This record gives sequence, structure tokens and C-alpha cells, in this order.
Amino acid sequence: MRRLFAVALGILTAIGGFVDIGDMVTNALVGSRFGLSLVWVVVTGVIGICVFAEMSGRVAAISGRPTFDLVRERLGPRVGFANLVASMAVTLLTFIAEIGGVALALELASSVNYLLWIPLAGFAVWLVLWRVKFSLMENVFGLLGLSLIVFAVAVWQLGPDWSTLWNDASRPSVPASEDAPTYFYYAVALFGAAMTPYEVFFFSSGGVEERWGPRDLTTMRTNVLVGFPLGGVLSVAIAASTTLVFLPVGVQVDTLGQVGLPVAVSLGKMGLAVALIGFFAATFGAACETGLSVGYSISQYFGWQWGKYVRPREAARFHVVLLLATITGIAVLLTTVDPIKVTEYSVVFSAIALPLTYFPILVVANDPDYMGEKVNGRVANALGSVYLVIVLAAALAAIPLMILTKAGQ
Amino acid sequence: MMGEYVAGRRYDAALHLLDRQIVDPDGRLVAKVDELELADRPDGRLVVTALLTGPGALGPRVGGRIGHWIVAIWRRLRIEPDPMPGRIDVADVVSIDSAVHVGRRRRALEVDGLERWMHYNVVSRIPGAGHDPE
Repeated sequence: MRRLFAVALGILTAIGGFVDIGDMVTNALVGSRFGLSLVWVVVTGVIGICVFAEMSGRVAAISGRPTFDLVRERLGPRVGFANLVASMAVTLLTFIAEIGGVALALELASSVNYLLWIPLAGFAVWLVLWRVKFSLMENVFGLLGLSLIVFAVAVWQLGPDWSTLWNDASRPSVPASEDAPTYFYYAVALFGAAMTPYEVFFFSSGGVEERWGPRDLTTMRTNVLVGFPLGGVLSVAIAASTTLVFLPVGVQVDTLGQVGLPVAVSLGKMGLAVALIGFFAATFGAACETGLSVGYSISQYFGWQWGKYVRPREAARFHVVLLLATITGIAVLLTTVDPIKVTEYSVVFSAIALPLTYFPILVVANDPDYMGEKVNGRVANALGSVYLVIVLAAALAAIPLMILTKAGQ
Repeated sequence: MMGEYVAGRRYDAALHLLDRQIVDPDGRLVAKVDELELADRPDGRLVVTALLTGPGALGPRVGGRIGHWIVAIWRRLRIEPDPMPGRIDVADVVSIDSAVHVGRRRRALEVDGLERWMHYNVVSRIPGAGHDPE
């Protein structure tokens, strides 16, 4: 019974924890401009994150070594350092976007300008990283994040023509109002949003934090293979809701308020209140995860003690990194840079950085020296190799497409 | 999983030692194996005599201008005129699997100067630094 409870809790937090500011904004934006014609990318991205999260989780459970520890071991100090700098830059950008998202959610709930919320939101995130137990943090924000199910309810309440939606999603084509480069630019952005590198750093380090061993493999796999796809369903629900409300009138989603508007239209104030709780939980939870990921990666590269499983003073350098990352995030946001713009760039740069994370994982997951009998099977290797090609293609296409489309304008 | 470390057994130093995590008897993370100290044996072969850690050992392996900077910053932060990298004698190594396990606690190894500085001057001054996460 307790085991069943643990599995259920794991799945629920995986669903609620899957969606972050990148998923919300990108899906809402894409829905308002391209309808459901890019759902195939979300499906591709969700399968990809399942493949690589399972691999990195398995490596962490069997060898006790999280992702960045192994990046340095496999790539050596020089290439590993370049990888660290690039991955860190992207994760920090995502962290900034998430704190901005928390402040925007608080603005929507309070009508107080988001800039005033930023120092408070940043401090609250740091306080959770400093003091709150890892599992409590994961469970609270993961479960609260489930309130985003309200988007699925909203789509149902809007009473769409399901066969048209299904046709748009299953027979993708570039909409008449958009050109092909823009379409593929947003395809890359959606892919980056679904497969963000920090999810793998966080997932594998979290496995070590929670002391996974070989016995936890089944639980871990269930969480990933059931939780992440259901999280992906929430992403698609957000896209579908903006498709129904904004696409017919030709309005592009540019603010977090617009992301929530379809819920307000179909379910009224109560629905919007639930959506705001979902926004807050999803961005706050992801801010904690990205902040920790910055600390995890730097510490793991240099071999420092890291993690919330020890007292903060026993991992002094790790906690100094967390503190500095939070201060940097607050400072950047206080320049009044638009958090939604930061989010849009963070998902594209995520796509560019993906091969840096995924290639070493695939190599180590095949190394019997670390994995013993639990090396990749045929299915994992076939999928892993196919995805390495996809990830490389997305990374190489990202910059040319960004220049060609002036970042999707 | 892997064969236990056996004193005198031959290891591929680059594959089994370099860039691995060093872990102490309490399971605490000590450092990375940033470089190896080698010595000539009378028969002309090389043996590993110590694991070297810290930016002073890592910088030259990163190489280039960045490697140079890593070493320069590390030198500037040290008190000694000619600082040496952290050194863990190979006799302290207990076993090697996905990590290198040593027999002495990380404080006793004295290779974590920056960690101690951050501990005393920054982290311990924030309320709750000794809060037990369990």
C-alpha cells in the first residue's frame, strides 16, 4: 500500500512538475499562431525526454553518479568545461525566466506590478533552496502544479469541433498565414521547451538526493513513462485553449495574462483562480529545479559537495552558487527585461544546448563499467540514437532559423 | 559492479582515475581527481603516487587561456607565495568503482580550502546553516 502510494505520488508530481514557464508560454503562443499544427513536436519532445530521463535516472540509480559528474569523466576537463559554461548559461536563463514567471503570476493575482514582486519571489525561491526538504519541495509544487488540468477542462467547456482539432493535429501543415521558416523556428522552440537540459540534470541529481538504488528502477520508470506524457497532455491542452480563443481573431499571445484568458473565458473567475495557482506552482517549482541545477552542475564538474541531503554548511560552495544565481536572476529581471521574451529565447537556446547533455548520457548508459548488467537495451539504444540525430538537427537549425525569421516575428 | 581496487593491480589511470569523484568514508564528496602525481620506478615504469585536486591541478589540463586564468585566480587567492595543489596520497585510496573511495574524512585530507573559507565566512553566518535536512 505504501509502495502504491509512493508510485502514485511520484506520477502526480511528475505530471505537475513537467510544465514550466517555457512550456506554458511556448505552447500558448504556438496555439494562437499555428493552431494544433505543431502538436507532433510536443509528442516528439515528450518521447525524447522520457528516453533520456529514464537513461539518466538509471545511470544515477545504478552508479550513484549524476549527469554532470559523468559529463566531465567522459568528455575530459577541457570539453567538459565548455559544456559546463554553455549548459549553465542556458539553465541560468531558464532560471531567470521562471522567477519572472512567478512574479508575473503574482501580478495577475494581486494587480501589483511584477517588478515589485521580483525581489520577494527571488528571496522566496532562495529560502526554499536553503531550508525546505527536497522531497517536500518536489511534492508540494508538483501536486499544486496539477491545477493546470483546468486548461483541459477549459478546452472541453469551450465546446470545440473535436474532429477539426484532431485533423489539424494529425495532419500537420504550415498555416496559410505563416511561412515555413517561422513554422520550423517554433517547432525548434517547442522541442527545446519539452526537452530542456535542466530537466535531466535535475532528474538525475534528484535521484541521488533521494538515494535511489537498483530497487527503485521500476518506480522511477513508472514516474517517467506515465507522468511525463500526461504532463505533455497538459502542454497540448494549453495550446488547444489558445487555438480556440485567439487563432480565429488573429491575436498572438505575448503575456502570461493572455495564456490564462481562455480559462477565464470558459470557466470564469474560479477557473482563472485555479489557473493562477497552477502558474505559480509550475513556475515556482521550476525556479527551484533550475536554481538547484545551476548549483548541481557546477559542483559536479568541480567535485564539490552538493545537495540538499546534507546540512547547508556541509555544502558551502554549492550554497554560495545558489545564492549568487538567485541574486543574478533578481538583478537581471530588475533591468525590466520582459520575462516572456527571456522565456522565448531560453527555450530556443535550450534546443541548441541539448546535444551537450544527451550525448554523454547515451555513452555512459552503454558503459558496463558503470552500469554492469543495466546497460541500455536495444530499444533504449535505438530510441537514444534516433533522438541524438533529431536533437542535433534541432540544435543546428536553431540559429539559422532564428536569424532568418528575426526570432519568429 | 566493477572489480574492487587491489593495491598493486594495474589500472588504466586515464580511464579509472582521472576526472573521477573522490568520496570519503562518510559518503561526503571530497573533490575530483584533477591530475595524477607520477613517479619513476627503478625498472623505468611509472606509478601513481598521489591524486592531485583543485584549480591548481585542473587548470593546466583545461589548457589554453582559460586554463591559465583558472591557475592565476587560484594562485591569487592563496596565501602561500608558491601554492601546491591539494594532494591525496595513493595509500589513502580504499577502493575504486564509479568513484574513488578514500579512507580518511574530507576535513582530515585538507584539500578543500575554498570550501572552508565559504563555510566560515559566508554560509555559517546565514541562519539555519546547521539545519538537518532529515
